[in-house]
Amino acid sequence: MATFNKADLPEKIILSGADCFHLVLDKHAKKHGAGGNVMRKVFYFNDKLDFKKVDAILKSSPVIYWLCNIKLNYGTIINTAYWKFTNAGNEIILQEHNMARENEIPESILNRNITIDAKRFIEADLVYYPSGSCAFVLSWNHILLDAKGTTLLFEHLNQLTAKAQQDTGLYFPAKEKKQNIFQHIKNMYKIKSFVQESARPPVSSVASTKVKPGDGKTCTKIISFDACETKKIQDNAIKAGSRFGPTLFFIACCAHAVHSINKQRNKTGDLWLPVPYDGRLKGATGPMISNCVSFLFYRILKTEFESVPQTVKSLSMQMTRQIKDGIPQKYKMFLNMMRHLPLWLYYFLISNTNKGVFASFLYTSTGDNFSNMETLFGKPVKNITMVPALTYPPGLTFVFLHHLETLHINIAYSQEIINNNELALIEENIKATLLANY
Amino acid sequence: MDTNSIIEEIKKYIEKNILAEAVSIDADTELKKAGIDSFSTVEIILFIERKFGVAIPDEQLLPENFKTLRSLALTVTRLMNHTA
Repeated sequence: MATFNKADLPEKIILSGADCFHLVLDKHAKKHGAGGNVMRKVFYFNDKLDFKKVDAILKSSPVIYWLCNIKLNYGTIINTAYWKFTNAGNEIILQEHNMARENEIPESILNRNITIDAKRFIEADLVYYPSGSCAFVLSWNHILLDAKGTTLLFEHLNQLTAKAQQDTGLYFPAKEKKQNIFQHIKNMYKIKSFVQESARPPVSSVASTKVKPGDGKTCTKIISFDACETKKIQDNAIKAGSRFGPTLFFIACCAHAVHSINKQRNKTGDLWLPVPYDGRLKGATGPMISNCVSFLFYRILKTEFESVPQTVKSLSMQMTRQIKDGIPQKYKMFLNMMRHLPLWLYYFLISNTNKGVFASFLYTSTGDNFSNMETLFGKPVKNITMVPALTYPPGLTFVFLHHLETLHINIAYSQEIINNNELALIEENIKATLLANY
Repeated sequence: MDTNSIIEEIKKYIEKNILAEAVSIDADTELKKAGIDSFSTVEIILFIERKFGVAIPDEQLLPENFKTLRSLALTVTRLMNHTA
């Protein structure tokens, strides 16, 4: 197995603006007793994976070693927060689980929190099923890796398996270029007024201000579509007016499902949601570490739910307008400025905007990141799912994932927010809108 | 302006503003495979509007027209000829 020089790993990585936003989310999660800001990716295999081989590959990764040996240094007004590489010799622990029910991920994995004070920021599990199949689960704190970074991490593991040469310089973020402070301040005001206007009350959310998730448990529901249905969904996206890819169609279908819940609760209103946007240059192979995302913000008026194409049209106009106005770039600058604030003040400002309602619901997609991933650790991958961090409020997150020719939606929710009948209504509604004849 | 010149202009814009340094494209590279996503496509459309003074109508915003630089440039040429 390939070796690496531990002394060559970066001693200090400054948190990006989006990373610092995750620090705020972590504080928010602690306050509301939610399940923590932990992401999990699950790979299913038809055959049992070789424990020793997987363990050796994971331990040969310089990125994983770095993730197991860092400590967060909180920032001050002068210095922004950073990760300090401790090089303490911690190795990733690969745990085996033999008593799992077919295709299920044991609760001991799902309930395990990885806080920002953890010794290791990444954990791995192998789950064996009675049928002889197995699942590999990787869990990490979202503050360190975003969706694209995760894809790059799995590509890196495949490169390690193939013993291919890799450019280690691409794993970590490059030193930031100095920015014009006045430009930053000017942008900050612009983006602050844009977001405040976009998220202005009243915004309808599935979350109730009176209900807080009690046990912090993240429930998940996976809806899968076969290749034929997936093809129809892709065609429907174009027919419904989502011409630059299916994202806006997916968001519209999720919004209609949420609207149906609000309707049942007699709580209909405008919906508002931030949607992550990968800020890396396209085709880039790094950086893997650090959140490089910005956001686009969509407000769907309650009058825009007459049909899915009508909702898509509204989203499309908002997206074009925001890209034209450089909103994602300006928001990134805004986040970079905000990281200079003390965490308590940052949290106070965020949680008091729109009375602490972060979004009506959350949507995320892995795009085409995993669509062609046929193998991991040299074995054919049968299926992939992602269990997102459940942010409360709103306590409802939709994750769209393409693998090979099929589409999978993972709905992460808190049972205190969405009951079983409502979950069934969401499933019925989302299937109906995705597969309708447009 | 001929189609080849349009290809060159769009290529220059994409390589400078959207793609990573290590990624190169030619007239027939599938843009999606080079990493161009929906947001980047909107950026390209906005560039075309600014640079060539043509707006791509909704009915022509089709995946086949955005598949490669060549198909994109042919769409722009058609629209420019139609406008002239």
